[in-house]
Amino acid sequence: MRGTRLRRLEHGLFALPALGFLGVFFFYPFLEVVRFSTWRWSGLRAPEPVGLKNYAELVSDPLFWQSAKATFLFALWVLPSFLLLSILIAFLIEGQPYERFVKGALFLPGLVTVGAASTAWYTLLAPEYGALAAFLPIPAWDQEPFWAMAMVVAFTLWRYLGYGVLVVSAHLKAIPSELVEAARVDGARPFEVTRYVVLPLLRPAVLFLLVVGSVLALQSYVAVFLLTRGGPYGATRVLGYFVYELGFENFRLGYAAAATAVLLVLTLLVALAQGKLLEER
Amino acid sequence: MRHALVFGIVLAVLLPFFWMAYAAFLPPEIVYSGDVLSGFGFTLENLRKLAPEGFWPRLFFSLWVSGAVALAQVLTALLAAYALWNGVRLWAVFLFTLAIPAELLLVPLFGVLHQLRLLDTPWALLLPFFASPFTVLLVYQAMRSLPYSLVEAARIDGAGEGRILFSVVAPLVFPNLVAAGVLAFAAHWNLVLFPRVAVGERYWTLQVWIADLARRYPADWGLLSAAALLSTLPLFLLYLLFERRIVETFEGSVKG
Repeated sequence: MRGTRLRRLEHGLFALPALGFLGVFFFYPFLEVVRFSTWRWSGLRAPEPVGLKNYAELVSDPLFWQSAKATFLFALWVLPSFLLLSILIAFLIEGQPYERFVKGALFLPGLVTVGAASTAWYTLLAPEYGALAAFLPIPAWDQEPFWAMAMVVAFTLWRYLGYGVLVVSAHLKAIPSELVEAARVDGARPFEVTRYVVLPLLRPAVLFLLVVGSVLALQSYVAVFLLTRGGPYGATRVLGYFVYELGFENFRLGYAAAATAVLLVLTLLVALAQGKLLEER
Repeated sequence: MRHALVFGIVLAVLLPFFWMAYAAFLPPEIVYSGDVLSGFGFTLENLRKLAPEGFWPRLFFSLWVSGAVALAQVLTALLAAYALWNGVRLWAVFLFTLAIPAELLLVPLFGVLHQLRLLDTPWALLLPFFASPFTVLLVYQAMRSLPYSLVEAARIDGAGEGRILFSVVAPLVFPNLVAAGVLAFAAHWNLVLFPRVAVGERYWTLQVWIADLARRYPADWGLLSAAALLSTLPLFLLYLLFERRIVETFEGSVKG
């Protein structure tokens, strides 16, 4: 029989492949971004160090502030509707014969190809020419900032709603039925049971979704890329897309790295704040 | 009332899928008439037009890169999850990577791939995805629901750690490995932005190719829908096969 210490070492080795790949392709870029952000670099010619100039430019870049505003607005739309819809649907299907089917159906959009999904969305919902425009008044979301944002929000909700419903539903099922029974015996009406017994017990689920949702709100720009390309007039240019545009359409990789660094700090702050929030529960 | 609401929501969520399947077989006359509901028609022409655009080689290329990534990701996750289960204190490391969405690292990852001279090679589509904290999480949660005495019993019987993992633990969490593999496959299959910047047209995945097709033929909905439908089909079939497993694995991961 081998010593425990040797076995410990062996278990450490088991973690090595995953750590190795994450080290090279996650942690190393994570640190390198700081160095890249001090370069002027187009990706084609050799980089040229420029110190903190990129950051100085970023702070005075109106597009950056506009993107920050768009991201904030996007989160403000997505988070409450994501939470409310997840809870509502989880309540509606709880214990119904079609519960499993609905969960399966709602989960599907998150798995299928974004490219394909956005093609279907575009041909269905394009203003004037879309298939639905023939018998529904489709707002001109390619021209009006408000509706463009609504479209991106709807697409994001469509993709992730199934996940939210699963989370709420899993917590809903974990509520002991005795609690609900006891409240009923004490004369609480169904609405009161929901409001004062079930909803407070769902707090962990709501907090968890809030964490997942805000990370999502900060990162989600594939929908923007495929549906609106940040337009019209930059109304849907969220920070993630702003960085993509800088790096790979304007070929200013150093500047894009500086914007990435700022976005990373923001994400970490949000994650930290939420970690605190989750601990308190 | 309740049923009608649920029915309405499910219908709205599934509508794009129905539409995609319908439009893929719509004759071009109807599409270009400006009113897609003006008539019905069925044609395979859209599917046929995909071949000269180079659809099929793309499909097979995507199938193999995403398949390879899924396999590798499950393997590294299985090993790492076993280490975690045995008390190796790395959970915080994986949690940290989980909190930072990979999309945010697009620019520095591009820079690192540039340094490693991996840009514009198939390796750029493979290596960065060989480990995923999310897959580790899914496999770890599945392992935690097993009794640890299994491992201890196998150790007393004299089995080495590798053998315990692969012939005792792995078969027990196999359904979860499959579910995690399907999710890993789907996540890689759906990448659009990363392959677009990391490799040239030669190694574009199917998704990038479709985004480009939509740019070149914005009005040919029949063609676009046919491409979208066929690119969705592999995932759809995988999902139908393993739907129960996938939903349950997910539920297991959010309960803990």
